[in-house]
Amino acid sequence: MFKEPGHLSDEDILLVLDGESSRRLARSAQAHLAACWDCRSRMGVLEGTIEAFVSLHRRTLDPELADPQGPSALLRARLAEIAAGRSTVASSSFSRLPILARSFAYLCAAVFVAVLGSRLLFRHPQPHPFLGGTFANRTVPDRRLTPGATRPVSIGDVCSMRHEEVVHDVSGSLRQQVFREYGIVNPRPEDYEVDYLIAPGLGGTEDIRNLWPEPSTSSTWNAHRKDALEERLHQLVCDGELDLGTAQKAIATDWITAYEKYCKSDTLAGAPVAHRQRTHLHGSRETSKAPTSAG
Amino acid sequence: MLRPPADCAYEVPFPASAPARTVDKKSGYEEEVIHLFGLFRNPLLRYVISLGLSRHDGEEIIQEVFLALFCHLQLGKSRQNLRGWIFRVAHNLALKQRAANKKAQTMLDSDEARRQPDTAPNPEQQAVSHQRWQRMQAVLRALPEQDRFCLYLRAEGLRYREIAAALGISLGAVSIALARSLARMKPVDEG
Repeated sequence: MFKEPGHLSDEDILLVLDGESSRRLARSAQAHLAACWDCRSRMGVLEGTIEAFVSLHRRTLDPELADPQGPSALLRARLAEIAAGRSTVASSSFSRLPILARSFAYLCAAVFVAVLGSRLLFRHPQPHPFLGGTFANRTVPDRRLTPGATRPVSIGDVCSMRHEEVVHDVSGSLRQQVFREYGIVNPRPEDYEVDYLIAPGLGGTEDIRNLWPEPSTSSTWNAHRKDALEERLHQLVCDGELDLGTAQKAIATDWITAYEKYCKSDTLAGAPVAHRQRTHLHGSRETSKAPTSAG
Repeated sequence: MLRPPADCAYEVPFPASAPARTVDKKSGYEEEVIHLFGLFRNPLLRYVISLGLSRHDGEEIIQEVFLALFCHLQLGKSRQNLRGWIFRVAHNLALKQRAANKKAQTMLDSDEARRQPDTAPNPEQQAVSHQRWQRMQAVLRALPEQDRFCLYLRAEGLRYREIAAALGISLGAVSIALARSLARMKPVDEG
Protein backbone atom coordinates (compact mmCIF):
# COMPACT_ATOMS: atom_id res chain seq x y z
CA MET A 1 0.00 0.00 0.00
CA PHE A 2 1.48 3.32 -1.05
CA LYS A 3 2.40 5.71 1.78
CA GLU A 4 5.10 8.33 1.22
CA PRO A 5 5.74 11.60 3.04
CA GLY A 6 4.44 14.57 1.11
CA HIS A 7 1.91 12.47 -0.87
CA LEU A 8 -1.53 11.05 -0.24
CA SER A 9 -1.68 7.44 0.89
CA ASP A 10 -3.84 4.90 -1.00
CA GLU A 11 -6.14 4.85 2.00
CA ASP A 12 -6.58 8.63 1.92
CA ILE A 13 -7.30 8.59 -1.81
CA LEU A 14 -9.87 5.86 -1.34
CA LEU A 15 -11.52 7.75 1.51
CA VAL A 16 -11.83 10.78 -0.75
CA LEU A 17 -13.13 8.73 -3.68
CA ASP A 18 -15.71 7.02 -1.47
CA GLY A 19 -16.81 10.28 0.14
CA GLU A 20 -15.81 8.92 3.53
CA SER A 21 -13.10 11.42 4.45
CA SER A 22 -13.45 14.30 6.89
CA ARG A 23 -14.07 17.72 5.36
CA ARG A 24 -10.61 18.78 6.36
CA LEU A 25 -8.94 15.80 4.65
CA ALA A 26 -11.15 16.23 1.61
CA ARG A 27 -10.12 19.87 1.21
CA SER A 28 -6.40 19.24 1.63
CA ALA A 29 -6.56 16.15 -0.60
CA GLN A 30 -8.29 18.04 -3.40
CA ALA A 31 -5.64 20.76 -3.20
CA HIS A 32 -2.87 18.17 -3.29
CA LEU A 33 -4.41 16.24 -6.20
CA ALA A 34 -4.69 19.45 -8.21
CA ALA A 35 -0.95 19.94 -7.87
CA CYS A 36 0.39 16.35 -7.92
CA TRP A 37 0.32 14.26 -11.10
CA ASP A 38 1.67 11.24 -9.27
CA CYS A 39 -1.22 11.11 -6.80
CA ARG A 40 -3.75 11.86 -9.57
CA SER A 41 -2.33 9.00 -11.57
CA ARG A 42 -2.60 6.62 -8.58
CA MET A 43 -6.17 7.76 -8.06
CA GLY A 44 -6.94 6.88 -11.69
CA VAL A 45 -5.41 3.41 -11.28
CA LEU A 46 -7.42 2.89 -8.09
CA GLU A 47 -10.64 3.85 -9.86
CA GLY A 48 -9.77 1.50 -12.72
CA THR A 49 -9.21 -1.36 -10.28
CA ILE A 50 -12.54 -0.69 -8.57
CA GLU A 51 -14.29 -0.56 -11.92
CA ALA A 52 -12.70 -3.82 -13.06
CA PHE A 53 -13.55 -5.57 -9.80
CA VAL A 54 -17.16 -4.39 -9.72
CA SER A 55 -17.65 -5.25 -13.36
CA LEU A 56 -16.34 -8.78 -12.97
CA HIS A 57 -18.16 -9.22 -9.65
CA ARG A 58 -21.48 -8.34 -11.24
CA ARG A 59 -20.96 -10.28 -14.42
CA THR A 60 -19.97 -13.33 -12.42
CA LEU A 61 -22.83 -13.25 -9.93
CA ASP A 62 -25.73 -11.63 -11.77
CA PRO A 63 -26.48 -14.78 -13.80
CA GLU A 64 -27.17 -16.48 -10.44
CA LEU A 65 -30.03 -14.10 -9.67
CA ALA A 66 -33.32 -15.67 -10.54
CA ASP A 67 -36.62 -13.88 -10.87
CA PRO A 68 -37.38 -12.34 -7.43
CA GLN A 69 -41.16 -12.65 -7.83
CA GLY A 70 -41.34 -16.19 -6.43
CA PRO A 71 -39.19 -15.49 -3.34
CA SER A 72 -41.05 -12.23 -2.80
CA ALA A 73 -44.39 -14.01 -2.88
CA LEU A 74 -43.10 -16.63 -0.48
CA LEU A 75 -41.90 -13.96 1.93
CA ARG A 76 -45.27 -12.23 1.73
CA ALA A 77 -47.03 -15.49 2.62
CA ARG A 78 -44.69 -16.11 5.54
CA LEU A 79 -45.13 -12.57 6.81
CA ALA A 80 -48.87 -12.95 6.58
CA GLU A 81 -48.63 -16.06 8.74
CA ILE A 82 -46.60 -14.24 11.35
CA ALA A 83 -48.79 -11.17 11.23
CA ALA A 84 -51.85 -13.33 11.70
CA GLY A 85 -50.21 -14.58 14.89
CA ARG A 86 -50.36 -18.19 13.84
CA SER A 87 -47.75 -20.38 15.39
CA THR A 88 -45.95 -21.60 12.37
CA VAL A 89 -42.46 -22.64 11.56
CA ALA A 90 -41.07 -21.86 8.15
CA SER A 91 -40.40 -24.89 6.05
CA SER A 92 -36.71 -24.08 5.65
CA SER A 93 -35.96 -24.50 9.32
CA PHE A 94 -38.62 -27.11 9.81
CA SER A 95 -36.91 -29.31 7.27
CA ARG A 96 -33.75 -29.18 9.35
CA LEU A 97 -35.40 -30.73 12.39
CA PRO A 98 -34.52 -34.35 13.16
CA ILE A 99 -36.66 -36.80 11.22
CA LEU A 100 -38.32 -38.19 14.36
CA ALA A 101 -39.21 -34.72 15.57
CA ARG A 102 -40.57 -33.82 12.16
CA SER A 103 -42.59 -37.01 11.95
CA PHE A 104 -44.06 -36.35 15.36
CA ALA A 105 -44.86 -32.78 14.36
CA TYR A 106 -46.49 -33.95 11.14
CA LEU A 107 -48.52 -36.50 13.07
CA CYS A 108 -49.70 -33.86 15.54
CA ALA A 109 -50.46 -31.46 12.71
CA ALA A 110 -52.36 -34.14 10.80
CA VAL A 111 -54.46 -35.00 13.82
CA PHE A 112 -55.08 -31.33 14.51
CA VAL A 113 -56.08 -30.63 10.92
CA ALA A 114 -58.31 -33.68 10.78
CA VAL A 115 -60.13 -32.75 13.99
CA LEU A 116 -60.38 -29.09 13.10
CA GLY A 117 -61.41 -29.87 9.54
CA SER A 118 -64.17 -32.22 10.54
CA ARG A 119 -65.52 -29.67 13.03
CA LEU A 120 -65.45 -26.88 10.52
CA LEU A 121 -67.15 -28.97 7.88
CA PHE A 122 -69.78 -30.01 10.37
CA ARG A 123 -70.46 -26.42 11.39
CA HIS A 124 -70.25 -24.97 7.89
CA PRO A 125 -71.76 -27.30 5.36
CA GLN A 126 -70.84 -25.04 2.41
CA PRO A 127 -67.93 -26.43 0.42
CA HIS A 128 -64.36 -25.46 1.14
CA PRO A 129 -63.20 -23.02 -1.53
CA PHE A 130 -60.66 -25.51 -2.79
CA LEU A 131 -62.93 -28.51 -2.48
CA GLY A 132 -65.95 -26.81 -3.88
CA GLY A 133 -64.51 -26.27 -7.30
CA THR A 134 -62.27 -23.25 -7.09
CA PHE A 135 -59.14 -25.28 -6.70
CA ALA A 136 -60.42 -28.40 -8.40
CA ASN A 137 -60.71 -26.42 -11.59
CA ARG A 138 -57.35 -24.79 -11.25
CA THR A 139 -54.82 -25.96 -13.72
CA VAL A 140 -51.99 -23.76 -12.48
CA PRO A 141 -50.64 -23.66 -8.93
CA ASP A 142 -51.00 -20.77 -6.51
CA ARG A 143 -47.79 -18.81 -7.03
CA ARG A 144 -47.78 -17.63 -3.42
CA LEU A 145 -47.64 -21.22 -2.23
CA THR A 146 -45.73 -22.75 -5.12
CA PRO A 147 -43.35 -20.26 -6.67
CA GLY A 148 -40.99 -23.06 -7.75
CA ALA A 149 -37.60 -23.99 -6.34
CA THR A 150 -34.47 -25.14 -8.09
CA ARG A 151 -31.10 -26.59 -7.21
CA PRO A 152 -27.85 -25.43 -8.80
CA VAL A 153 -27.36 -27.69 -11.80
CA SER A 154 -25.32 -27.48 -14.95
CA ILE A 155 -26.55 -28.32 -18.42
CA GLY A 156 -24.34 -31.40 -18.18
CA ASP A 157 -26.20 -32.57 -15.06
CA VAL A 158 -29.57 -31.99 -16.66
CA CYS A 159 -28.75 -33.67 -19.94
CA SER A 160 -26.75 -36.61 -18.63
CA MET A 161 -29.97 -38.49 -17.88
CA ARG A 162 -33.15 -39.02 -19.80
CA HIS A 163 -35.82 -36.66 -18.56
CA GLU A 164 -38.13 -39.38 -17.31
CA GLU A 165 -35.33 -40.98 -15.29
CA VAL A 166 -34.86 -37.89 -13.09
CA VAL A 167 -38.15 -38.18 -11.19
CA HIS A 168 -38.02 -38.81 -7.48
CA ASP A 169 -40.62 -40.03 -5.04
CA VAL A 170 -42.14 -37.38 -2.85
CA SER A 171 -42.40 -38.53 0.73
CA GLY A 172 -45.84 -39.20 2.12
CA SER A 173 -45.48 -36.57 4.81
CA LEU A 174 -44.47 -33.95 2.26
CA ARG A 175 -47.46 -34.82 0.07
CA GLN A 176 -49.76 -34.41 3.03
CA GLN A 177 -48.11 -31.08 3.79
CA VAL A 178 -48.81 -29.94 0.23
CA PHE A 179 -52.47 -30.84 0.55
CA ARG A 180 -52.71 -29.06 3.88
CA GLU A 181 -51.08 -26.00 2.43
CA TYR A 182 -53.68 -25.90 -0.32
CA GLY A 183 -56.47 -26.54 2.15
CA ILE A 184 -57.45 -29.85 0.56
CA VAL A 185 -59.01 -32.19 3.09
CA ASN A 186 -59.32 -35.91 2.45
CA PRO A 187 -58.22 -35.84 -1.20
CA ARG A 188 -59.32 -38.73 -3.39
CA PRO A 189 -56.41 -40.53 -5.07
CA GLU A 190 -57.95 -40.22 -8.51
CA ASP A 191 -58.47 -36.45 -8.22
CA TYR A 192 -54.94 -35.15 -7.65
CA GLU A 193 -51.32 -35.84 -8.31
CA VAL A 194 -48.68 -34.10 -6.25
CA ASP A 195 -46.52 -32.75 -9.02
CA TYR A 196 -43.30 -30.83 -9.29
CA LEU A 197 -43.87 -27.36 -10.73
CA ILE A 198 -40.32 -27.29 -12.10
CA ALA A 199 -39.53 -30.89 -12.99
CA PRO A 200 -36.45 -32.48 -11.37
CA GLY A 201 -35.21 -33.09 -14.89
CA LEU A 202 -35.07 -29.33 -15.32
CA GLY A 203 -33.38 -28.69 -11.99
CA GLY A 204 -36.48 -28.53 -9.77
CA THR A 205 -36.18 -29.67 -6.16
CA GLU A 206 -38.29 -31.71 -3.79
CA ASP A 207 -39.27 -28.65 -1.84
CA ILE A 208 -42.74 -27.70 -0.74
CA ARG A 209 -42.38 -24.50 -2.72
CA ASN A 210 -41.99 -26.62 -5.84
CA LEU A 211 -44.84 -29.07 -5.23
CA TRP A 212 -48.55 -28.63 -5.85
CA PRO A 213 -51.65 -30.79 -6.04
CA GLU A 214 -52.33 -31.00 -9.76
CA PRO A 215 -55.92 -31.95 -10.59
CA SER A 216 -56.10 -35.12 -12.66
CA THR A 217 -59.64 -34.44 -13.72
CA SER A 218 -59.10 -31.61 -16.18
CA SER A 219 -59.70 -32.88 -19.69
CA THR A 220 -57.46 -30.40 -21.48
CA TRP A 221 -54.77 -28.93 -19.27
CA ASN A 222 -53.89 -31.97 -17.27
CA ALA A 223 -50.84 -33.83 -16.01
CA HIS A 224 -50.26 -35.51 -19.39
CA ARG A 225 -50.02 -32.15 -21.06
CA LYS A 226 -47.58 -30.87 -18.47
CA ASP A 227 -45.44 -33.99 -18.87
CA ALA A 228 -45.27 -33.25 -22.57
CA LEU A 229 -44.11 -29.71 -21.87
CA GLU A 230 -41.44 -30.94 -19.45
CA GLU A 231 -40.07 -33.35 -22.03
CA ARG A 232 -40.14 -30.70 -24.71
CA LEU A 233 -38.30 -28.15 -22.55
CA HIS A 234 -35.75 -30.78 -21.55
CA GLN A 235 -35.16 -31.56 -25.19
CA LEU A 236 -34.83 -27.88 -26.14
CA VAL A 237 -32.39 -27.23 -23.29
CA CYS A 238 -30.24 -30.22 -24.15
CA ASP A 239 -30.28 -29.33 -27.83
CA GLY A 240 -28.91 -25.92 -26.88
CA GLU A 241 -31.98 -24.16 -28.24
CA LEU A 242 -33.19 -22.86 -24.89
CA ASP A 243 -31.43 -21.53 -21.82
CA LEU A 244 -32.06 -23.64 -18.69
CA GLY A 245 -33.02 -20.61 -16.62
CA THR A 246 -35.52 -19.53 -19.26
CA ALA A 247 -37.05 -23.00 -19.28
CA GLN A 248 -37.33 -23.02 -15.48
CA LYS A 249 -38.88 -19.58 -15.43
CA ALA A 250 -41.32 -20.40 -18.22
CA ILE A 251 -42.70 -23.49 -16.53
CA ALA A 252 -42.78 -21.86 -13.08
CA THR A 253 -44.51 -18.70 -14.27
CA ASP A 254 -47.34 -20.20 -16.33
CA TRP A 255 -46.92 -23.68 -17.70
CA ILE A 256 -49.95 -23.41 -19.97
CA THR A 257 -48.53 -20.36 -21.71
CA ALA A 258 -45.21 -22.17 -21.92
CA TYR A 259 -46.93 -25.18 -23.48
CA GLU A 260 -48.57 -22.99 -26.10
CA LYS A 261 -45.24 -21.39 -26.83
CA TYR A 262 -42.92 -24.37 -26.92
CA CYS A 263 -45.24 -27.22 -27.90
CA LYS A 264 -47.16 -25.23 -30.47
CA SER A 265 -46.58 -27.73 -33.23
CA ASP A 266 -48.20 -30.48 -31.20
CA THR A 267 -51.94 -30.81 -31.23
CA LEU A 268 -53.65 -30.53 -27.90
CA ALA A 269 -54.83 -34.09 -27.78
CA GLY A 270 -51.67 -35.51 -29.22
CA ALA A 271 -48.93 -34.25 -26.98
CA PRO A 272 -45.71 -36.20 -27.50
CA VAL A 273 -45.53 -38.01 -24.24
CA ALA A 274 -43.59 -41.19 -24.75
CA HIS A 275 -43.38 -42.15 -21.13
CA ARG A 276 -44.54 -40.58 -17.99
CA GLN A 277 -43.41 -41.02 -14.45
CA ARG A 278 -45.20 -39.10 -11.82
CA THR A 279 -45.72 -39.04 -8.12
CA HIS A 280 -49.26 -40.06 -7.46
CA LEU A 281 -51.29 -39.40 -4.40
CA HIS A 282 -50.06 -42.58 -2.78
CA GLY A 283 -46.47 -41.99 -3.72
CA SER A 284 -46.13 -44.81 -6.22
CA ARG A 285 -44.25 -44.13 -9.40
CA GLU A 286 -45.90 -45.12 -12.56
CA THR A 287 -44.72 -45.38 -16.11
CA SER A 288 -47.34 -45.43 -18.76
CA LYS A 289 -47.86 -44.73 -22.39
CA ALA A 290 -49.72 -41.58 -23.18
CA PRO A 291 -51.74 -40.88 -26.29
CA THR A 292 -49.41 -40.29 -29.16
CA SER A 293 -51.63 -38.77 -31.78
CA ALA A 294 -54.80 -36.84 -32.22
CA GLY A 295 -56.27 -38.89 -34.92
CA MET B 1 -29.56 -21.33 11.54
CA LEU B 2 -31.72 -18.60 12.99
CA ARG B 3 -35.11 -19.99 13.81
CA PRO B 4 -37.81 -18.02 11.98
CA PRO B 5 -40.12 -16.48 14.50
CA ALA B 6 -43.52 -17.89 15.24
CA ASP B 7 -45.05 -14.71 16.50
CA CYS B 8 -42.18 -12.27 17.03
CA ALA B 9 -42.06 -13.14 20.71
CA TYR B 10 -38.34 -13.64 20.48
CA GLU B 11 -35.31 -11.46 20.72
CA VAL B 12 -33.58 -10.41 17.56
CA PRO B 13 -30.01 -11.57 18.17
CA PHE B 14 -28.48 -8.14 17.77
CA PRO B 15 -28.64 -5.28 20.23
CA ALA B 16 -30.84 -2.33 19.49
CA SER B 17 -29.61 1.11 20.38
CA ALA B 18 -32.93 2.91 20.42
CA PRO B 19 -35.65 2.29 22.99
CA ALA B 20 -38.46 0.00 21.94
CA ARG B 21 -41.75 1.58 21.03
CA THR B 22 -45.15 0.00 20.90
CA VAL B 23 -46.57 0.04 17.39
CA ASP B 24 -49.50 -1.82 15.97
CA LYS B 25 -48.90 -1.50 12.26
CA LYS B 26 -48.57 -5.07 11.15
CA SER B 27 -49.69 -4.56 7.59
CA GLY B 28 -47.55 -1.42 7.32
CA TYR B 29 -44.52 -3.37 8.46
CA GLU B 30 -45.33 -6.15 6.01
CA GLU B 31 -45.37 -3.71 3.12
CA GLU B 32 -42.19 -2.06 4.33
CA VAL B 33 -40.41 -5.39 4.62
CA ILE B 34 -41.58 -6.43 1.15
CA HIS B 35 -40.36 -3.08 -0.18
CA LEU B 36 -36.96 -3.53 1.47
CA PHE B 37 -36.82 -7.09 0.14
CA GLY B 38 -37.26 -5.69 -3.35
CA LEU B 39 -34.43 -3.25 -2.76
CA PHE B 40 -31.92 -5.53 -1.09
CA ARG B 41 -32.67 -9.05 -2.28
CA ASN B 42 -30.26 -9.00 -5.22
CA PRO B 43 -27.32 -7.36 -3.38
CA LEU B 44 -27.84 -9.76 -0.46
CA LEU B 45 -28.04 -12.77 -2.73
CA ARG B 46 -24.88 -11.76 -4.55
CA TYR B 47 -23.15 -11.26 -1.22
CA VAL B 48 -24.09 -14.58 0.36
CA ILE B 49 -23.29 -16.44 -2.86
CA SER B 50 -19.88 -14.77 -2.92
CA LEU B 51 -19.37 -16.17 0.59
CA GLY B 52 -19.65 -19.64 -0.92
CA LEU B 53 -23.32 -20.52 -0.53
CA SER B 54 -25.51 -22.01 -3.21
CA ARG B 55 -28.30 -19.90 -4.62
CA HIS B 56 -30.85 -22.12 -2.92
CA ASP B 57 -29.25 -21.67 0.51
CA GLY B 58 -28.87 -17.98 -0.23
CA GLU B 59 -32.57 -17.59 -0.97
CA GLU B 60 -33.48 -19.40 2.24
CA ILE B 61 -31.20 -17.20 4.30
CA ILE B 62 -32.59 -14.03 2.77
CA GLN B 63 -36.11 -15.17 3.64
CA GLU B 64 -35.02 -15.58 7.23
CA VAL B 65 -33.29 -12.21 7.25
CA PHE B 66 -36.49 -10.46 6.27
CA LEU B 67 -38.61 -12.45 8.71
CA ALA B 68 -36.17 -11.31 11.40
CA LEU B 69 -36.39 -7.76 10.07
CA PHE B 70 -40.18 -7.87 10.29
CA CYS B 71 -39.94 -8.78 13.95
CA HIS B 72 -37.18 -6.26 14.50
CA LEU B 73 -39.45 -3.51 13.21
CA GLN B 74 -42.55 -4.84 14.89
CA LEU B 75 -40.77 -4.84 18.22
CA GLY B 76 -39.90 -1.20 17.70
CA LYS B 77 -36.15 -1.80 17.57
CA SER B 78 -33.70 0.71 16.18
CA ARG B 79 -33.95 1.77 12.57
CA GLN B 80 -30.54 3.35 12.57
CA ASN B 81 -28.22 1.88 10.00
CA LEU B 82 -30.88 -0.59 8.87
CA ARG B 83 -28.96 -1.65 5.78
CA GLY B 84 -25.95 -2.46 7.97
CA TRP B 85 -28.23 -4.46 10.26
CA ILE B 86 -29.75 -6.41 7.36
CA PHE B 87 -26.36 -7.31 5.94
CA ARG B 88 -25.10 -8.21 9.39
CA VAL B 89 -27.90 -10.72 9.93
CA ALA B 90 -27.35 -12.12 6.43
CA HIS B 91 -23.61 -12.31 6.98
CA ASN B 92 -23.97 -14.17 10.29
CA LEU B 93 -26.55 -16.59 8.94
CA ALA B 94 -24.48 -17.23 5.84
CA LEU B 95 -21.36 -18.02 7.84
CA LYS B 96 -23.37 -20.28 10.10
CA GLN B 97 -24.83 -22.09 7.15
CA ARG B 98 -21.45 -22.35 5.48
CA ALA B 99 -19.95 -23.83 8.63
CA ALA B 100 -22.79 -26.32 8.79
CA ASN B 101 -22.09 -27.41 5.30
CA LYS B 102 -19.23 -29.83 5.36
CA LYS B 103 -18.58 -29.27 1.70
CA ALA B 104 -18.50 -25.49 1.91
CA GLN B 105 -14.95 -25.07 0.71
CA THR B 106 -15.44 -27.54 -2.11
CA MET B 107 -18.56 -25.69 -3.12
CA LEU B 108 -16.70 -22.38 -3.05
CA ASP B 109 -13.97 -23.69 -5.30
CA SER B 110 -16.29 -25.42 -7.71
CA ASP B 111 -18.69 -22.48 -7.80
CA GLU B 112 -15.88 -20.09 -8.54
CA ALA B 113 -14.68 -22.36 -11.29
CA ARG B 114 -18.18 -22.67 -12.67
CA ARG B 115 -19.16 -19.01 -12.39
CA GLN B 116 -17.32 -17.20 -15.09
CA PRO B 117 -18.35 -14.09 -16.93
CA ASP B 118 -19.88 -15.06 -20.24
CA THR B 119 -20.92 -11.77 -21.71
CA ALA B 120 -17.77 -10.62 -23.46
CA PRO B 121 -18.65 -9.43 -26.93
CA ASN B 122 -16.13 -11.45 -28.92
CA PRO B 123 -13.78 -14.43 -28.40
CA GLU B 124 -10.66 -12.28 -28.03
CA GLN B 125 -12.23 -10.01 -25.46
CA GLN B 126 -13.72 -13.05 -23.82
CA ALA B 127 -10.26 -14.59 -23.48
CA VAL B 128 -8.83 -11.38 -22.00
CA SER B 129 -11.78 -11.09 -19.67
CA HIS B 130 -11.37 -14.71 -18.63
CA GLN B 131 -7.66 -14.26 -17.88
CA ARG B 132 -8.37 -11.14 -15.85
CA TRP B 133 -11.14 -12.93 -14.03
CA GLN B 134 -8.83 -15.81 -13.17
CA ARG B 135 -6.09 -13.50 -11.91
CA MET B 136 -8.55 -11.51 -9.87
CA GLN B 137 -10.04 -14.67 -8.39
CA ALA B 138 -6.55 -15.81 -7.38
CA VAL B 139 -5.88 -12.50 -5.62
CA LEU B 140 -9.29 -12.57 -3.95
CA ARG B 141 -8.69 -16.07 -2.64
CA ALA B 142 -5.37 -14.97 -1.18
CA LEU B 143 -6.90 -12.02 0.68
CA PRO B 144 -7.70 -12.28 4.39
CA GLU B 145 -11.34 -13.26 4.71
CA GLN B 146 -12.32 -10.02 6.41
CA ASP B 147 -10.77 -7.96 3.60
CA ARG B 148 -12.78 -10.00 1.13
CA PHE B 149 -15.99 -9.42 3.09
CA CYS B 150 -15.32 -5.66 3.07
CA LEU B 151 -14.69 -5.68 -0.65
CA TYR B 152 -17.87 -7.61 -1.47
CA LEU B 153 -19.98 -5.43 0.82
CA ARG B 154 -18.54 -2.24 -0.67
CA ALA B 155 -19.24 -3.62 -4.14
CA GLU B 156 -22.89 -3.91 -3.08
CA GLY B 157 -22.93 -0.21 -2.29
CA LEU B 158 -22.59 -0.26 1.50
CA ARG B 159 -21.04 2.77 3.19
CA TYR B 160 -18.14 2.25 5.58
CA ARG B 161 -20.32 2.58 8.68
CA GLU B 162 -22.70 -0.01 7.25
CA ILE B 163 -19.85 -2.39 6.52
CA ALA B 164 -18.54 -1.80 10.03
CA ALA B 165 -21.96 -2.63 11.46
CA ALA B 166 -22.36 -5.69 9.26
CA LEU B 167 -19.00 -7.16 10.24
CA GLY B 168 -18.78 -5.79 13.77
CA ILE B 169 -15.48 -3.99 13.14
CA SER B 170 -14.33 -0.38 13.36
CA LEU B 171 -14.53 2.22 10.60
CA GLY B 172 -10.73 2.36 10.51
CA ALA B 173 -10.52 -1.40 9.99
CA VAL B 174 -12.93 -1.12 7.03
CA SER B 175 -10.88 1.66 5.48
CA ILE B 176 -7.60 -0.22 5.86
CA ALA B 177 -9.08 -3.50 4.58
CA LEU B 178 -10.45 -1.86 1.42
CA ALA B 179 -7.26 0.04 0.65
CA ARG B 180 -5.16 -3.09 1.26
CA SER B 181 -7.38 -5.27 -0.96
CA LEU B 182 -7.38 -2.80 -3.83
CA ALA B 183 -3.61 -2.35 -3.56
CA ARG B 184 -3.19 -6.11 -3.96
CA MET B 185 -5.55 -6.20 -6.89
CA LYS B 186 -3.92 -3.26 -8.63
CA PRO B 187 -1.01 -5.14 -10.18
CA VAL B 188 -3.49 -7.75 -11.34
CA ASP B 189 -5.51 -5.12 -13.10
CA GLU B 190 -2.46 -3.48 -14.60
CA GLY B 191 -1.01 -6.80 -15.67
